[in-house]
Amino acid sequence: MRRKAVEIINFTKKFGDFTAVEDLNLDIYENEIFGLLGPNGSGKTTTLLTIATVYKPTSGDIYVYGHSVTREDYEVRKLVGIAFQEPKAMWIDKAIDLLTWHARIVGYPREEAKRVVREVMELLGLWEHRNKYFYQLSGGTRKKVELAKVLIQKPRIAILDEPTAQVDVLSKHALWDVIKKLRSEGTTVIIATNDMFEAERVCERIAIIYRGKLRALGTISELKDSVPKGDIIEIQVQEELRDREALRELEVFGRVSVNSDMITIYSDKAEEKVVDVIDALRKRGLQVKRIMVKEPSLDDVFTYLTGAKLRE
Amino acid sequence: MIYDFFELTTQAYTVALRDLKRFWQNIYWLAGQVAMNIADLLIFGLIFRGIVRPDLIPDYIRFITPGILCLSIFISSFTIGREVGVELRREVTHYLVSLPITRGALVAGRVLGGVLRGLMYQVGFLILAVLIMTPPTLDKWILILAASIFISVTMSSLSITLVTLTRDFNIQAAIRSLVYFVFFFMSNVFYPERALRARLGPVAPVALYSPVSMAVTIYRYGFGYSTEVDLVFNTAGLLLWSTATVLLAYKLYIRNLRR
Repeated sequence: MRRKAVEIINFTKKFGDFTAVEDLNLDIYENEIFGLLGPNGSGKTTTLLTIATVYKPTSGDIYVYGHSVTREDYEVRKLVGIAFQEPKAMWIDKAIDLLTWHARIVGYPREEAKRVVREVMELLGLWEHRNKYFYQLSGGTRKKVELAKVLIQKPRIAILDEPTAQVDVLSKHALWDVIKKLRSEGTTVIIATNDMFEAERVCERIAIIYRGKLRALGTISELKDSVPKGDIIEIQVQEELRDREALRELEVFGRVSVNSDMITIYSDKAEEKVVDVIDALRKRGLQVKRIMVKEPSLDDVFTYLTGAKLRE
Repeated sequence: MIYDFFELTTQAYTVALRDLKRFWQNIYWLAGQVAMNIADLLIFGLIFRGIVRPDLIPDYIRFITPGILCLSIFISSFTIGREVGVELRREVTHYLVSLPITRGALVAGRVLGGVLRGLMYQVGFLILAVLIMTPPTLDKWILILAASIFISVTMSSLSITLVTLTRDFNIQAAIRSLVYFVFFFMSNVFYPERALRARLGPVAPVALYSPVSMAVTIYRYGFGYSTEVDLVFNTAGLLLWSTATVLLAYKLYIRNLRR
């Protein structure tokens, strides 16, 4: 049986009247790369910040290797390292000073700190930026500095909040490799992302969170299988679909979701039904601009479960 | 127990070093502050020397110098509050509270950072005081150092406490000015105790119990300006102020950091 690294029990977090996360229950296992997938404002960051003991739960609790974030926060912090969504630094700090201080505060002796900082900065391509002030760094480089903190710390649980946001495509691939390497060295990795490609590429298990609630949990293949009638027909029509009758006719082929001029039908044996779908739309006077049959992606899973798109 | 204390000390020291390094980064700002404090000393000292009644204050420059020592601590130790304020607004504090250190070490480190800033900044003014006033003996140096530590702990903690009350920079700046007004205007920095009692009447004890007045009284004794001073009252009072403000800073800083 796999050991639980993080156990989230009935976790609710409110800010005034606003409920950011509601009654979340979740287990994250040791040495897995776990993804929290959801659009901005869905409660991912709130959950991560509570695991990192930045926030306190309003009700419920989170346990990190058995230690409560409410009652044993210091014990939890010894096990957790976090790379924030918005890099946290004062603008007058130099990248190397930030990371060297970070190395010292997480427990490295002076000389060892210098060595490990250089090693990590070189790994992430930051060494040439070492003497730049934080305000002189690009958004992507700042994110790398944030990730560098976690790599220096080598915590048992690494929390990465949108680690590749603002990072260029080439660097993204390199960072994903670094994240996988971190896991292979024994760290449990929790990633929050709204990038479904990143989630598919890096994460082994995923929790889909929307409006503060857990909507689905499982491996990528389990989530894809949760979309009934496995295939998806995506149709782009000339104009926005407003005809309720047409919509009802389409429901014969499967569950229908409409987003502006895009119609998505969750169906089986889609290839056989495409012609009938086009006929049905034509009868209603709707011009088909583009039609595509595909397997569900995580984006589709998300849309199926929530009725919303990941990037709202 | 000993390990815990050692761990807390190391963590607090590392946090304080970060604050100290930042202090020296603003070198031009610092130079401006030092120039302003020296200007205060010269303007108040030299001009008022010929204006204030000699039976009240025989030599105003010797009278005001201990006050400027205290002012230098206020200026430098209070900068820690300004920094904590910026960190709160930019949520850098999220990073600090996520670090594998105890909350106590974090607060102690911030306060210690303010104390070190205060003490280092004050060194130049202490030298100036030695040149202007009577050089202290060793026992008086110890007393002066204790007063400097207590008053910088108080100012540092107070600045952290006040800045956590609001995230609005304008209000933070206004609070800082108010603190300056209350602690320095209502103290024995600019006027002697006799004048305070005469002008403030029943409110005078409030001014005399302020940490600034207590520290200035000790400085005046240390540098040979006054001889009859209640050392126990003033030292114990300063210790009380510093303990109370540290506890307050701990409570409010942590409460505001971890929502």
